Amino acid sequence: MLKKPSATAKPLWKKAPFKSSYDAVIIGGGLHGLATAYFLARDHGMTNIAVIEKRYIGFGGAGRNTAIVRANQRTQENVPLYKEALELWPVLTRELDFNLMFYNCGNLNLAHSDAALKAMRTNVATARFHGVQSRVVDPKECKELVPALDISERPRYPIFGGMYHPPGGIVRHDAVVWGLAKGATAKGIHIHQGTEVTGIGVSNGKVVSVETDKGKIATDRVLNAAGGYSAALSWNLLGMKLPISVLTIQAMVTQPLKPLLHHVVSSGAYHCYANQTLKGEIATGSHMDPWPNYTTQTTARYIKHQAEALIEMMPCLSGIKFMRTWGGLADMTPDMAPIMDGNQPHEGYYLDCGWGYFGFKSSTVTGKYMAQYMATGQCPEILAPFALRRFQEHRLMGETAALVNYTPDN
Amino acid sequence: MALTITCPICGARNGYEFRYGGEEKGPKPDEAALRSPEAWCDYIHFNRCKAGAQEEWWFHRDGCGAWFTIHRDTVTNREIPGKEAGI
Repeated sequence: MLKKPSATAKPLWKKAPFKSSYDAVIIGGGLHGLATAYFLARDHGMTNIAVIEKRYIGFGGAGRNTAIVRANQRTQENVPLYKEALELWPVLTRELDFNLMFYNCGNLNLAHSDAALKAMRTNVATARFHGVQSRVVDPKECKELVPALDISERPRYPIFGGMYHPPGGIVRHDAVVWGLAKGATAKGIHIHQGTEVTGIGVSNGKVVSVETDKGKIATDRVLNAAGGYSAALSWNLLGMKLPISVLTIQAMVTQPLKPLLHHVVSSGAYHCYANQTLKGEIATGSHMDPWPNYTTQTTARYIKHQAEALIEMMPCLSGIKFMRTWGGLADMTPDMAPIMDGNQPHEGYYLDCGWGYFGFKSSTVTGKYMAQYMATGQCPEILAPFALRRFQEHRLMGETAALVNYTPDN
Repeated sequence: MALTITCPICGARNGYEFRYGGEEKGPKPDEAALRSPEAWCDYIHFNRCKAGAQEEWWFHRDGCGAWFTIHRDTVTNREIPGKEAGI
C-alpha cells in the first residue's frame, strides 16, 4: 500500500516558469543533463539554463542501471575520466548535502580462461599507470573476497582468477538524480518535466532556438543528452546520423537476503554482473537484446539466463526468487566508447551520447567537462579523444577489447 | 514483446533464430565512392536509430541461412507489412 506523502515533506526542487529564452538548453533530464546543468552553474556561473525532460527526471537510464561504479576500463583515454568520476561521489555527497550512498565495496571481475586472465593483466597495467587500484587475484583470493563463489571444477566455466578493483562499488542512482536536481535548481536552473523537444532551429550554421511542445526557446547552445533517444533525436531534428545502435538491456533484483555479497561480482563469460544492495537484494544485470529496439521489454529468456549464471557462480543462490525485473536502453557505439563533441554540424550543438551501459558511472564527471565545453566553446583536453570524427578517421577506441564479449549490434 | 520474423523461405519463426544485420541503407556505394573515409563511415557505422517503423536486414542463422529485409516497429518489436510501414 502506498503511503500518503507527509504533510511536512518539502519538494527537493522547485517548479520553474517556462521562459522564452535561455543561455543554454539541455535535452534530457537524466544524470548527464542534470550534471551538466549543475556544473554550468557551479563552475561557470551560468544559471539561465533549462533542462528539458520529456517524461520525468530519472525516467530513463538514470533510474534503470544497476548502480555499479568503477574505473578499470580498458583504454588510456577512458580510465582518467572514470577515475575522476569515482573521486567525485564523496565530493558531491557533501556539496549537494544529499546522501548519494556511495558504497566503495570494490569490484571483482572473474576470469574463466587463461586468455581472460591475460586480458586482465593488460587492464590492470592500464589502471595502475593511471593510479587506479586494481590487481589480478587467484581463485583462492576470489573465494576469500566472495565466499559464496564456487571455485571448483564443477561450473561450466570454472574460475581461473579475477581482477579486483577496490575503489569501485555502488551508488544509489535515484539519490544522484534527486541530489543533482536539488543542487541545480538551488543555483537557479530550470527543470521542465513533461516537455518534449520537437525541433532545433538553425540559422547560418548556428543554433538559434529549441522548439518544444510548451513553446519556442531562443538559445544559442543546446546539449543532446537524451541517452537512448539521442541518436533518434539527432536524426529527427537535424538529419544527423550517429554511429549508434539502441538496444534494450535488462536487469532484475532478488528477494532481500542477509549480507553475503560484499563486493560487486561480474563475469564476462556468463554475461552477468551482480551486487547486493543495502536493502539486501541481489541486483543483477544481463546482456543486451540481440537486436535494436526501444521496447525496454523484459523477457523470460533473460530471467532464465540470469538465474542460471548466478547459480553457476554462486550455488547458494539456488531457489532464491526474483522480485522485480525491468529494462532500459543502451545506446551502443561500434567501439564501446561515448561520443562527446560540440559545434558540429552546427555551432552551438553539443553531443553527449553513445554511453551504452557506462552512462551511470561516468555521469557526474562528464557533466563537469561538458559544462566546460559548453561554457567556453573549447573542447577540454580530457574529452578530445571522444570526438565524433574518430569514426571517420578510423580511430576507433579499444574498449571492445575489455573483458566482456560485446559488439554494438550484440 | 517477443519478436516473430517472417523468413521468405521458412515463414514466420521465433526471432531468436535470426541474427540482426543492420538498417537497410540502400545499395552499397561503388568501391571508388567508398574510398572516402566519410562515405565508408556513413555506410558502415552510421544509423538513423528510428523509434518506429524501419526497414532492416536479418539473417536466418538457425534456419535456411537466407538474408532478407523486413519492416519492424522498433518501439513495439512487431514486424509490420511494408505497405503499412509507410517507408
